[in-house]
Amino acid sequence: MELLFKMLRPDFLLHDALLGSVLVGSVCPLVGVYFVLRRMILLGVALPQLSAAGIAFAFLVSRMILGERQQGTMNAHSLALAGSVAFTLTGIFLLAAFERRGREMVEARIGVSFAVAGACTMLFLAADPSGEAQMVSLLKGDLLATTATSLTTLMGVLGVVVLILFVLRKEFLLVSFDRDLAVVFGRRAEFWDALLYLAIGVTIALGVTTAGPLVTFGFLVVPPVAARRVTRHMITFSLVAAGIGAVSAFAGFYCAYRFDVPLGPAEVAVASMVLLVVSFGRGLGHALRGFA
Amino acid sequence: MGAPLVALRGASLGYDGAAVLEHVTLTVEQGELLALLGPNGAGKTTLLRGIAGLLPLLAGHLEYGFDRRRTPPGYVAQRETLDPIFPLTAHEVVLMGTYARLARIQPVGRRQHRAATRRLAEAGLEAIAEQPFSTLSGGQKQRVLIARALAGEPPLLLLDEPTAGVDPLAATAILDTITRLHRDHGLAVVLVTHQLQLVRPLADAVLWVEEGRVSKGTADDLAGQRMLGTFGGGERR
Repeated sequence: MELLFKMLRPDFLLHDALLGSVLVGSVCPLVGVYFVLRRMILLGVALPQLSAAGIAFAFLVSRMILGERQQGTMNAHSLALAGSVAFTLTGIFLLAAFERRGREMVEARIGVSFAVAGACTMLFLAADPSGEAQMVSLLKGDLLATTATSLTTLMGVLGVVVLILFVLRKEFLLVSFDRDLAVVFGRRAEFWDALLYLAIGVTIALGVTTAGPLVTFGFLVVPPVAARRVTRHMITFSLVAAGIGAVSAFAGFYCAYRFDVPLGPAEVAVASMVLLVVSFGRGLGHALRGFA
Repeated sequence: MGAPLVALRGASLGYDGAAVLEHVTLTVEQGELLALLGPNGAGKTTLLRGIAGLLPLLAGHLEYGFDRRRTPPGYVAQRETLDPIFPLTAHEVVLMGTYARLARIQPVGRRQHRAATRRLAEAGLEAIAEQPFSTLSGGQKQRVLIARALAGEPPLLLLDEPTAGVDPLAATAILDTITRLHRDHGLAVVLVTHQLQLVRPLADAVLWVEEGRVSKGTADDLAGQRMLGTFGGGERR
């Protein structure tokens, strides 16, 4: 209990890391809600991997252009973010454009993207051995390395994403639920798709540079899947998913600190436990109602 | 009679540049109830989607006799196209119909909620307003979608097989709802169906779609001429 209070104090040594963790944990599910509803979960696997490839590529290119010595003077986090955003947005827009041409190959394209992105990440890393340690740390998502500056960026950008998702939720719901109706209503469905994908891409890119591909994918999918089992309205679905993500991130942080285990996997494990409990509780509820 | 609500002139409709229907000329008049009939794959849904503005014309002209931007037509697609994974109640689905008249960032307010409640009541669905849409029966879902289409107060209602896959009792309830709206509010209706007998007493006219052509007549004409095997070979419209 004492540790819990210690973590909540502003002078806690890892205060920025904890805030960053909870921020990623709560915003990724808000975006993940649309992954689940649009049945794009596989895309949630491929995009963080593409983001990781973008980070590795950015480091490789900067080393090739600037050389090893000057590369060290660059802000590694900004470089990683630039590569991550570029690859994630390119990937999501390309996959979305291909999806509109025909659904039958969607899974195959996402699978190929995942495999290619994974292979490229390894190859880019192998080609830039001097920066490998730094890159591996970024690729793993070193949440504990969150600084006040990166936290400010995270809060600013994710704040805008949340605002967009909230203010335009009516349009995103309409285009996601009934695209034909949206077009009949005069909405430009491609524009709203693009805006949603932009919000998703930016969130994933920031999530990966802050917490790594595993944590980002985990928070994109697990909290919304858990929330969907216990909610009947869109607004509560989004809020409960964000709440589960935030609580899981905090509890995961506590477990990692208390038991000295890796932070990212601890957070995903806690979120998965919540999913397990929710699923069990729901199954039990159904069984009891059937029995009654 | 005033200007037609919809006028298609020499229109070709299809997908990826390939025409399914060609040289289609027809009008939908104010307060008219038109049934779109024809064999499977003849292009009934293609024609309805064309009228709704969902398919760009390959050739010809489409004109609306109303401000389509401010009051778009009410459109009810085949209900199988809607994914049950969305956490939406019947009321929330109907509420979506009010988005037609809302600006992009304008939030849904009390007025829209009242309109959705009223439309649900008109369809006799108040009791299921808070039930998840995905758990409703086929007939109930279809009536919810009709209520949604009407929530935007459209001058024209377009329905794609509203009685498909529902039991006869539910089909009758759906058609009763459509007839009442058509009669009481003077709403123009175009509906795709396979069941001539079901719409025969209701339809002002029938559009027969076959082999890339569209012919217009009355339901009685069609019933008689189909018995003689001649319908569809008449005037090309």
